[in-house]
Amino acid sequence: MRFIPFILLMALALSGCGSDPASKNVEIDAAKLKLFKPLPAKVDVKPGGPEAERVALGRMLYYEPRLSKGHDIACNDCHMLDKYGVDNEPTSEGHKGQKGDRNSPTVYNAALHFTQFWDGRAADVEEQAKGPILNPVEMAMPDEKRVVAVLKSIPGYVTAFKTAFPDQKDPITYDTIANAIGTFERGLLTPSRWDKFLAGDAAAITNEEKAGFNAFLEAGCQTCHMGVLVGGNLYQKMGLAKAYPELADEGRAKVTKSEGDKFFFKVPSLRNIEKTGPYFHDGKVVTLDESVKQMGEYQLGAPLKDEQVKTITTWLKSLTGEIPADYIKKPELPPSGPNTPKPDKG
Amino acid sequence: MKKIITYGLPLLVVVLIVMQFFGPETANPPEDPAATIAAVAKPPVEVINVIDRGCRDCHTNRTSWPWYSRIAPASFLVARDVTKGRAHLNFSEWRGMSPEITALRMTEACIEVTRGDMPLPYYLPAHPEAKLSAGDVKAICSWPEQQK
Ligand code: HEC
Ligand code: HEC
Ligand code: HEC
Repeated sequence: MRFIPFILLMALALSGCGSDPASKNVEIDAAKLKLFKPLPAKVDVKPGGPEAERVALGRMLYYEPRLSKGHDIACNDCHMLDKYGVDNEPTSEGHKGQKGDRNSPTVYNAALHFTQFWDGRAADVEEQAKGPILNPVEMAMPDEKRVVAVLKSIPGYVTAFKTAFPDQKDPITYDTIANAIGTFERGLLTPSRWDKFLAGDAAAITNEEKAGFNAFLEAGCQTCHMGVLVGGNLYQKMGLAKAYPELADEGRAKVTKSEGDKFFFKVPSLRNIEKTGPYFHDGKVVTLDESVKQMGEYQLGAPLKDEQVKTITTWLKSLTGEIPADYIKKPELPPSGPNTPKPDKG
Repeated sequence: MKKIITYGLPLLVVVLIVMQFFGPETANPPEDPAATIAAVAKPPVEVINVIDRGCRDCHTNRTSWPWYSRIAPASFLVARDVTKGRAHLNFSEWRGMSPEITALRMTEACIEVTRGDMPLPYYLPAHPEAKLSAGDVKAICSWPEQQK
């Protein structure tokens, strides 16, 4: 008997969705484009010394394995700049091959997130950069002093910090290290065809992609994925509509200790999402299609049909941007000095 | 024709009666007072009033289920709108929102109310208080601007 209202409902639901994404001239609801903004040409940097010098120094530090205990892991090992800022592993290997418990998110466009990390425990990229260097399963340095001592022992860094932070009496500190890395990260932007479209070039995305955008709105994804980054500006419970099966990681509750924040994670940006799998905080989902499908199920409580998933991912691919090849070019790293501590593999 | 009435009508009545025993879930989820839009984003009081009058039944956890929502098949349609309405926008669950996303969601609310797409038109005859005045629309639309 239960299926009688169901049939009535189906008839009603079907009557509502007649037009299919035909490949000719798909209309987009222009007013709703206000909810999505193009990437800025530039992100403001924090105060410090001259910007170009800080960027150059930050770039060196980003690629610098001597910031790790074993002198074998740099930021770029987990966030590869030529691979859209990720390593494409479910979770990453840090010091002595140890695995962390969360997926490495991309560093591209990350400076525009409202907070950093899956659980928002750092306010900005500068504060964030202080984390991995001392994290025992990542770069595993024992303390800030040791990091500063290593850099002070490398003559090339002594000069580079002096030019990047000319006003500082003692230019190499844990703060200036983080400031330089953060300043470099603020330039990691990947403008895409979607930005051209938002700027008024109607032909920058295809009709199939436009149809996908409409399907994204129709499904209600924008309630959590809006704005410049199509995400990155709120925390939401993973499993809002239906409990997510992986409950080991309590997400934001680990930071706030508040019961109400259990299983809340930062909603990720969907820029470059095609390239940054595997997906979710635990890296458990391999394909983009599957992650979109699970979003329908766990976040919206409305399973998506395969065609809906397909058209949505078609649009998502228009968010894949251009990697700034010159900006990320690996610089030459200065040679160690006579007093530079030896790598510690223990 | 006569046959349809003599057999069809009683059958329909039976079906409708039986349907009443299979109502949809209408228990409201709890509302955490610390997690509402009022607590988290502190909108002006006019905005809270408009939400309370025009949107509460479908976009908060404080739905007052109308009399027709207890009668199948209307019950299923109403329940579907409440479920979908909450999934797309829930003013009771504002935990974790930045000012930016609040402004964006209210910008979308402004688009919907300006067009008269929200509140859903079928809802208005039974809820005249939900019909928004020009001033109500203005309250919704000017708040995101003020946040910038
Ligand atoms: C061993 C792998 C590893 C190394 C090395 C590493 N990271 Fe990460 N990074 C991660 C993981 C895993 C996360 C997510 C952790 C979490 O959210 O709890 C992360 C998060 C981030 C984020 C936050 C992005 C977001 O979306 O919130 C930024 C930015 C970042 N790392 C930059 C860096 C920088 C800069 C370095 C070098 C100083 C670095 N990482 C070194 C694995 C690594
Ligand atoms: C209620 C808020 C909410 C809604 C609605 C929502 N998402 Fe998400 N989305 C999230 C959260 C939270 C995560 C991170 C979950 C995690 O890692 O555990 C996420 C993650 C994702 C990811 C993976 C990102 C990554 O880097 O791993 C994709 C892709 C995605 N969402 C697409 C969608 C699509 C498409 C829709 C609509 C069908 C949608 N989302 C609807 C909150 C939402
Ligand atoms: C009778 C129930 C009902 C009422 C009352 C109602 N809504 Fe909705 N609303 C819905 C439903 C159902 C959806 C999901 C839209 C869909 O199915 O396309 C929705 C979606 C939305 C959306 C997301 C846009 C979209 O298309 O998904 C916004 C914004 C919104 N409503 C704003 C409001 C505001 C503001 C009010 C009060 C002034 C309001 N609604 C009153 C049922 C309602």
